[in-house]
Amino acid sequence: MTETQKGTRTLACPACGGTLEVRAAGWSVNLACRYCGSILDVSRPEVQIIERHKRAAGQFSLPLGARGSLFDDDWEVVGAIIRRGPTDRWREYLLFNPYVGYRWLIEWDGEWQFGTPLLGRPEAKGNSVFWRGQRFRQEDDESEAVTGTLVGEFYWRVSKGDSARATSYTSRDLTLSREDTDGEVNWTQLVALSPGHVETAFGIAPPRLSRESRSALYARGEETRKPDDLGRICLLVLASAILALLAMIVISGPVERASGTVTAPFGSTREAQKIGAITVRRGWQFVTVTASGENFDNRWIELDYRLVDRTTGQSIDGYGLSEHYSGSDSDGAWTEGSRSASTLFGQVPRGTYDLYVDAAAHSWPVDAVPDSSNPWSTPEAIEIRIDARTGSLPWGNWWTLVILLSIYPCVLVWRRFRNQNS
Amino acid sequence: MIHCPSCGAALPVRGLSVPYTTCTHCQSLILRKGQTLEEIGKVAEVPFDISPIRLGTRFTIAGIEYTAAGRVRWGWSGGSWNEWLLAAPGGEGRWLGEAMGLYMLTAQRPDVMTDPLARAFAEGRDPLVGQGLEVDGIAFEVSDVKQAECLGSEGDLPFPTLPGWSMTNVDFRAPGGEALSLQRDAEGTSAWLGTWHELSGLSPRALREIEGWPLPAALQ
Repeated sequence: MTETQKGTRTLACPACGGTLEVRAAGWSVNLACRYCGSILDVSRPEVQIIERHKRAAGQFSLPLGARGSLFDDDWEVVGAIIRRGPTDRWREYLLFNPYVGYRWLIEWDGEWQFGTPLLGRPEAKGNSVFWRGQRFRQEDDESEAVTGTLVGEFYWRVSKGDSARATSYTSRDLTLSREDTDGEVNWTQLVALSPGHVETAFGIAPPRLSRESRSALYARGEETRKPDDLGRICLLVLASAILALLAMIVISGPVERASGTVTAPFGSTREAQKIGAITVRRGWQFVTVTASGENFDNRWIELDYRLVDRTTGQSIDGYGLSEHYSGSDSDGAWTEGSRSASTLFGQVPRGTYDLYVDAAAHSWPVDAVPDSSNPWSTPEAIEIRIDARTGSLPWGNWWTLVILLSIYPCVLVWRRFRNQNS
Repeated sequence: MIHCPSCGAALPVRGLSVPYTTCTHCQSLILRKGQTLEEIGKVAEVPFDISPIRLGTRFTIAGIEYTAAGRVRWGWSGGSWNEWLLAAPGGEGRWLGEAMGLYMLTAQRPDVMTDPLARAFAEGRDPLVGQGLEVDGIAFEVSDVKQAECLGSEGDLPFPTLPGWSMTNVDFRAPGGEALSLQRDAEGTSAWLGTWHELSGLSPRALREIEGWPLPAALQ
């Protein structure tokens, strides 16, 4: 455990060994490990595990450590929570500045609210509360808010499944939220932020844009559409696809490669064949592992990949299949399968990984063990070349996006074509 | 200029007439009796934290200048907090509690100890969350009761912060943001009344510089 000049405390997660930063040292009580999700007590010099978890999960649009300026102050995202109500789900981000304290960002279906903890307590009168001479009316019935996934650090004791009774009171554009956790009441003042405000402040524009373009595509009815809309929609689709591609390239990060050859024996699996090491240099990157074989036919090679983090010993597993078949039937000669197969590992966290491969070869249509005494039988093993690289682009996701975005313009084109013909 | 009787390092004078000071060099706890200095033990170094306050930070509160002269760090099952001893020029002291980025500025109110709830607490009977007490016409409610132990200290302090020192702390809240706390340790029980503030509300100067964090405009 060391204290860096930056004012953060660095520690190793006692559950997974991952390196963690405590940004609000001394104020933070619990920390949910960004790698394994285990909840740690960081309020004392000796770190203790409170809840052990295997994997950190949850998708957050603001990553831990993201900085942005809101209402004239700089804020750093130090914690994020997914919470569930009776009918909805939302995300809460804990913002921190050592000179100003804590604030909240609440993300609900793409809309954002900025929350400030109240120092005092509004006074209840019937269905309203009074705060600084202003009357706030109760908006909805009290409901339960349950904590789901957690990541980052918090200034109180946290646990998955924590439950609070939540009520909100409104007066014009201000909302007061009251949360009661086992008799401890906290009040927060919430203001709605205009669309794009948080995205601009924290520099997370790309997802917002595709959202807008999607809603632009779907929100308009046929009757309000002008004849030139098709061109505009196609431009929007093109712009979104290009922007998504640029964003992918920007976030993909530096490229590092490792290559090697593995042997896939028939009838058995050759385990833990080490290819080499690659280093993920960003918070996370995509990693692609490509297997390519040569000159085999009617064979399929099963490949199990393990990316093992050198620091933590934790592994990320994947699967690859290299195959090629040929034959002839009533339609003539045919071939099927690909001797080259790519496997994409999404969101591999920062670290140095050793790639291990388990390989096994099978023959088709009968998975028979070749007879080694027969010199005319197939060779006992197939050589497969393995190439691993970081900084890959998730092309599958991009093509899916392009296809989804193209559906509506295609429908329009088809309708016009049909109208012209009728 | 006075020097640490243990290691000889110079001890800063912070203008507060309290009996104890900790040597920043060797962590010796020194008792001042007139002109004589006596080393009575070693205190734990304050664990690293992000607090923007340091010894020497100055505040202007209701027109009076205060300087942070000492600090105690308390730990309990739900976290930890700092209590800064602020010294005014006349030798008067105030306590500034710091937790979760909020500040509770208090002054001692011996008269509160006549309240039945406070008397019961002094006799060892802890109040329950939600129980009430009235001071100056303000209705306070117990918000929590904590068993706390001293995790470390620095600077000038009115009591010896030797390892193993512990206390019971009761925090009260009121609708207007007023704060009240009762503290009981082996030496006795005391009552502290004050208000909650954000740091900018205390007009701080000479704050600790934290790399990567510019001082907000409101604090410059």
